[in-house]
Amino acid sequence: MKILRLLLLLPFLVLADGDDLYLLKGAKVFIADEGFVAKDILVDDGKIILVDDFIENIETGDVIDVQGKFITPGLLVFSSLGLLEIGALPETNDTGSDIYNAGFDPSRAYNPFSQAVRLNRSKGVTSTVNIPGASGYFSGMLTYTKINGGMKQKKQGPLGLVTSYGQSYNDSRAANLMYMEDLFSYVRTNHDDNYADMTQFMLGTTNEYKFTSRDFKAIKKVLDNEMPLVVKVNKATDILNVIKFAEAQEVDLILWEANEGHMVANEIAQAGVPVILDPLNNIPSTFDSLNATYENVTRLNDAGVVMAFYYEQGAGAHNAYLATQSAGNSVAMGLDYNEAISSITSNPADIFGLINVGYILPGYDADLVVWDNDPLELMSSVEMVMIDGEKQDLSNRYKELTDRYTKELDKPNSYRSRE
Amino acid sequence: MIKKLLAIFTALILFGCTEQTSTLFVGEAEGSVTNYENDTHGTYASTYVPLPSENTVIRNATVFDGDGNKFINYDIYFSDGKISAMGRDLVVESAKEIDGTGKYVTPGIIDNHSHMGVYPAPGVRTSSDGNEATSPNTAEVWAEHSVWSQDPQYKLALAGGITTFHVLPGSANLFGGRGVTLKNVSGNTVPDMKFPDVPHSLKMACGENPKRVYSSRGPSTRMGNVAGYRNAWIGAENHRDRLEKDPSHRDIKNETLVGVLDGEILVHNHCYRADEMATMINISQEFGYKVSTFHHGVEAYKIANLLADEGICAALWADWWGFKHEAYDMTIANIAIVDQARGGTGCAIVHSDSASGIQRLNQEAAKALAAGREAGFDISEQRAMTWITKNPAKSLGILEKTGTLENGKDADIVIWSGNPFSVYSKAEQVYIDGALAFDKATNFMPHTDFDLGVKEWEGK
Repeated sequence: MKILRLLLLLPFLVLADGDDLYLLKGAKVFIADEGFVAKDILVDDGKIILVDDFIENIETGDVIDVQGKFITPGLLVFSSLGLLEIGALPETNDTGSDIYNAGFDPSRAYNPFSQAVRLNRSKGVTSTVNIPGASGYFSGMLTYTKINGGMKQKKQGPLGLVTSYGQSYNDSRAANLMYMEDLFSYVRTNHDDNYADMTQFMLGTTNEYKFTSRDFKAIKKVLDNEMPLVVKVNKATDILNVIKFAEAQEVDLILWEANEGHMVANEIAQAGVPVILDPLNNIPSTFDSLNATYENVTRLNDAGVVMAFYYEQGAGAHNAYLATQSAGNSVAMGLDYNEAISSITSNPADIFGLINVGYILPGYDADLVVWDNDPLELMSSVEMVMIDGEKQDLSNRYKELTDRYTKELDKPNSYRSRE
Repeated sequence: MIKKLLAIFTALILFGCTEQTSTLFVGEAEGSVTNYENDTHGTYASTYVPLPSENTVIRNATVFDGDGNKFINYDIYFSDGKISAMGRDLVVESAKEIDGTGKYVTPGIIDNHSHMGVYPAPGVRTSSDGNEATSPNTAEVWAEHSVWSQDPQYKLALAGGITTFHVLPGSANLFGGRGVTLKNVSGNTVPDMKFPDVPHSLKMACGENPKRVYSSRGPSTRMGNVAGYRNAWIGAENHRDRLEKDPSHRDIKNETLVGVLDGEILVHNHCYRADEMATMINISQEFGYKVSTFHHGVEAYKIANLLADEGICAALWADWWGFKHEAYDMTIANIAIVDQARGGTGCAIVHSDSASGIQRLNQEAAKALAAGREAGFDISEQRAMTWITKNPAKSLGILEKTGTLENGKDADIVIWSGNPFSVYSKAEQVYIDGALAFDKATNFMPHTDFDLGVKEWEGK
């Protein structure tokens, strides 16, 4: 079988020009459902073309010796990377909108030269699913963006429509559920794409939610099952209500946060609903999360729920790469190690139906990270990052600052060299 | 007072009167009119009484003593709430034996920047009591008068090995008020949690926060901030002069500031930018006080030598950045650079400022250590352990009592399942003053009143 595959590959190899041909030899490679296994990886023209126990040295291209190293698929994070430079400076924040809500796609503001992008890339992140922050009833749409250097990034999406459900200062959560039902049936009955711009839904009421035709079209995509509804929700009873709502509306559902998900883990699993969460959320930080616990991930996993992890503690927007720390802690809480790695690589790709990313398999994009050690350990470091088969520049401002204040200390700081 | 207690304590050790341990502590608590005169008449003194403890010896563990040392196959014996002996193959009589084989033992972890209690969980308006943001100078407020003793977050920190934490007011004001150092123990009242006989602290804040909060009435600029500090210190000097003529005069705002000028209250200064920290040092020199610790100092590495020369600690995050302009120039090597300044005489501290981060200070130290090594420093794990034990203890003025594993110190001890610098290690047991406060294996931990009736699934 292996020989056959190599034979099939041979003409291709001969034709390859070698410019973007790489053979990564000798590493332990993360294969979903198997874990780390010794494999060689052949990459050409941005794609993984072969993953095998042993691949003969190629004559053209680069042979990269990664003996003893660990290779994972590039980390897929949920973040504001590229959309937010400095949190408290609105001028540098492109995550939100007051004009649009459901139809808002912040990824169109993506800045590949953001310092946070460069730092996260150097820490093993190869792509981000943006977190939208519009101020209306919906906070916007999710889009997948690769974070390679240069001006052009591949995107996939829209991947989902984000809203939140639960405690609110004004209306009861019961009213909010009714509102969503009424809104959805309004969009269902007015399906001719002739929504008047700036329609105020339910005119004559005191509600302040406004929808443009762009917003209604996004909602319609959810109703047509072209993208899922993604609901930030924490309270166990709210989770059940949201699942019931999605079933009644016949829309696809993804849960986000779900601090009390463990209390209704079986119901979530039976509904086939995936959950995106931070395993470190164990604080009863709201009355909707009184039962928050470190055991959330293990209980959800035991029930068979598919999960993707993100890191939201502290300055999470800028340190999305620390999803590895969240995943590492989930292992300390009892989660299977391979499941933990999958939760920051292949699971999010599966959850959103992303094409050709998240796995180290032939035919997939060559988004690879070489680690010197266990990727989930706090003291491991990234040695190489490849996105679409291109080795990425791992330099970043934080490394430059470190160098500036640890080297050539005899010179005034602003005259120290920049290499 | 302290001397007298020490004498009693020494006598107890000499005569081995273990049964009288609790008496000693009760006596200490009741009789404790603190040395810090602003704790007027002992009214606000600690009433902390340790939990019952038994004499215990941990055998054959790997020990980070918090003072920069690592010992292999080591035993630790603690009795009457204090560490009484350390070494190999200790001979002790009638002590509870714990097999530490494969385990790591460290001092209790200390977080010198927490808002637990003043920003308790759940985070609702009704118990959001951390910032008296009504005036740029609220030196008169005390964080301990906001602390909620039933905050369910304490036990989460305990499960992360935290035995002592310092609660500060928020950073809205130039002078935010007094902080309080607490033992991580349950108490129905705040004095029941207070670390006995330790200095008070004063929270000050530089930069963006005060000038943003008071932009309409001032200060609205960094120079306005500095004028605000200087005017306040001049006011404190005037108050001190007046006290000479009129010793009974009360002014609780200036009592705090005079406490700083007299060296009794320690300054904990929220300050991100290097140039601003240097300015704050200038101000301290103008008025003759000392800054104990700069907090958050994202740019501390830029003036690491200055901080080492001045003997000022820097309490830092491993990797938080970018949430504010003054937090933009981040390096994860910050802590290591501060630590290694002037031949390794710097005082670097890993702090949390977060009810989540406080649960994993050991992990934050690990990331900072890795970045330090990547930057070319030869730093050992035992050295990095000082960032979350000895150095915060020094910063809070409690190093004589806790922060390292040394004979005579409070038996504040954590037993870890493995190397605490690994993401997979967990605190298995936590001792505070020799008493078992947390035991992972048996799910033994305190539950606040708030937890009752909520976590019905817990332990099932």
